[in-house]
Amino acid sequence: MANDYLKQKRLLLVDDEEELLHMVEMILRRDGYTELRTAGSAGEAFRIFREWKPELAVLDVMLPDGDGFSLFSRMRRESDLPVLFLTARGEDEDRFKGWDMGADDYMVKPFLPRELTSRILAILRRSYKNENPVVRLAGSSIDFERAEVQKGEERLSLTAKEYELLTALYRNAGRIVTIDQLCEAAWGDNPYGYENSLMAHIRRIREKIEENPSKPVSLLTVKGLGYKLITEETP
Amino acid sequence: MKHTLRLIRRFVFILMFSVILLFVLNVILFIAATYDKANTRGGWQWAEEITEELLSSDGDGLKLSQKGAEILEELDAWAILVADGTGDVIWHSDNLPQEVPLHYSAADISWGTRGYIKDYPTTTASKGKDLLILGHPKTRYWKQMWNTWDYNLIKNAPGTILKAAGVNLLVIVFIYMASTFGFLRSVKPVVDGIERLPKEEVHVRERGQLSGLACAINQASERLRSQEHALKKKERAQANWIAGVSHDIRTPLSMVMGYAGELEENRELPDEARKQAQVIRLQSVRMKNLINDLNLYSRLEYTMQPLKRSKVDFAAVVRLAAADFINSDLEQKYPVEWSMEEGLSACMIDGDKELLGRAVNNILTNVRVHNPDGCRIIIKMEKEKGKDGKRTDGKEKDETGKDETGKLSLVIEDNGTGADQEQLERLKNTPHYMMCDRNGSSERGERHGMGLLIVRQIAEVHGGIAEFFQSQEGGFGVKLTLTLEHIAVMIEKA
Repeated sequence: MANDYLKQKRLLLVDDEEELLHMVEMILRRDGYTELRTAGSAGEAFRIFREWKPELAVLDVMLPDGDGFSLFSRMRRESDLPVLFLTARGEDEDRFKGWDMGADDYMVKPFLPRELTSRILAILRRSYKNENPVVRLAGSSIDFERAEVQKGEERLSLTAKEYELLTALYRNAGRIVTIDQLCEAAWGDNPYGYENSLMAHIRRIREKIEENPSKPVSLLTVKGLGYKLITEETP
Repeated sequence: MKHTLRLIRRFVFILMFSVILLFVLNVILFIAATYDKANTRGGWQWAEEITEELLSSDGDGLKLSQKGAEILEELDAWAILVADGTGDVIWHSDNLPQEVPLHYSAADISWGTRGYIKDYPTTTASKGKDLLILGHPKTRYWKQMWNTWDYNLIKNAPGTILKAAGVNLLVIVFIYMASTFGFLRSVKPVVDGIERLPKEEVHVRERGQLSGLACAINQASERLRSQEHALKKKERAQANWIAGVSHDIRTPLSMVMGYAGELEENRELPDEARKQAQVIRLQSVRMKNLINDLNLYSRLEYTMQPLKRSKVDFAAVVRLAAADFINSDLEQKYPVEWSMEEGLSACMIDGDKELLGRAVNNILTNVRVHNPDGCRIIIKMEKEKGKDGKRTDGKEKDETGKDETGKLSLVIEDNGTGADQEQLERLKNTPHYMMCDRNGSSERGERHGMGLLIVRQIAEVHGGIAEFFQSQEGGFGVKLTLTLEHIAVMIEKA
């Protein structure tokens, strides 16, 4: 599995609820993660953070000795590690507070194991994509580092827009990415009115990655909504 | 202040009207009072009458007829006849007072005609060349002795009267204003205070004639504020309580969901056990949705959820919610058909992105909850033009050259379990706080409760409407109508 190297990453789980911590750890172990450590308080978490240098942290907002946000900013002062917030408070203030500070994702309890694992995987992919050598598709493979597609013996290079679009699709591999999200990824802040351009780009990407571009199997259209990238590792 | 002005206008009008009415009334009264007197004969006529009744008798004597005597008696008057030339009294009535002289010089006669003889008011009439003088009781008449009028005065009388009336009116208005303005000055703060009372906290200075009123207004204001405050506090406490409870439920529920999910995927377990775990998982997802709904519901209901308004592409919001829904539909039991009006691209509305997404999500979740075996979902977005298809804000085109505004409608229908008329009625009419009034008769009616009410709430806080109906597709339908800011036309950039 191409994701195996991501599952080797060191994950720090912080929650004041020991039972929950236990469960999250179990879920992640079962999903293939091996390097896991848990902490029940901000102080303990910070100590582990310094000693162990985790590569991703799952933080609860409410901790017995302070809140997850301040722990997060303390960690951020020393490293860029990606963080997924986990909280029982659904109010928007928290959510936005988290976003503003640069959290990578945010989940409100309760959650399903599958949601948690897919989000963690998405963050890891995003954060460590440069280490990601090659993504295998049905009829080709994408080398994100070199922005190239290998189809049989052919090596086809990706344009900047194609690269952005494929990155956005790959981050959410197996899930629908809406037209709007793709336009935003490729054209930035004011992504309106690019639908036709997007279609043109998707066509060109298909020519590069699909064996039969008129019958795509890797980059699928979800009519009216968006597109979905199917990789060989998609469950 | 506008009230005060209106008040003044009204009062001035009433005042003018009263003055005019009073004047007319007086004229009428005067005429009525003098009508009687004018009809009866005055002193001068009586004098004429007496001369008629003074008859020459045989010989050279004069004699008053019986009728003449009766008149004199009735009038309690006396009469003399002064001879021309001599000035002697050649006849007199029997009741002539002693003091009345019997000889008159020309000056005496002039005086007697114009005025009085020995304080008796007199009237005269000529009898041939002689003069009859009728003397009335001293208290009968008052005679105006110098009764000449300047001709100019008479000529100018209408103007003079008008001027006088005008001056009178001015004086009256001035007196009124002077007295009223003083009063109004003290009324004004009170009136202002009352006007502001529904909007804000009011404090009126307790001074002047109306300090009692001002004091009452201040008390009322204080009372209103404190009640409002208490109510807010209560609502806040309630919403906080709900938030607290839902917070406390979330962590344990996470574990139920988490372990159920794990058990469900554990291939070492018998199928039966994994099925049961799946039920636990699905039901806890329902609980999770309920908690989220309850929390958001109470926050919206007690306006504790501040709207974060911005320009939002509603089409993107719907697409994202639909994509999330499809992404989480792992078994692909809910195929989604998406149709959007030709030419619609970005549908910009002024709204809260999160809440709008939540509304769409709730509609889709509702479909899933009521159709556990799956069903087809149809999502349609259409633009409903404003009247005459024109922009409602009157502008031709905005600076970005985008299309006209109007209404935007989103219809989400399914071909699964519908709702009957009664349930639809209930969804339409149930006030928010009545949602617990369930009769348990049907799964759908019972559970439609909060999720769809939140859809309604969200539509309402955006100035839109949510309608629930029986879909042509056989299932349930929801239509959201929102106000469109503008539509971005498809532009080829790239």
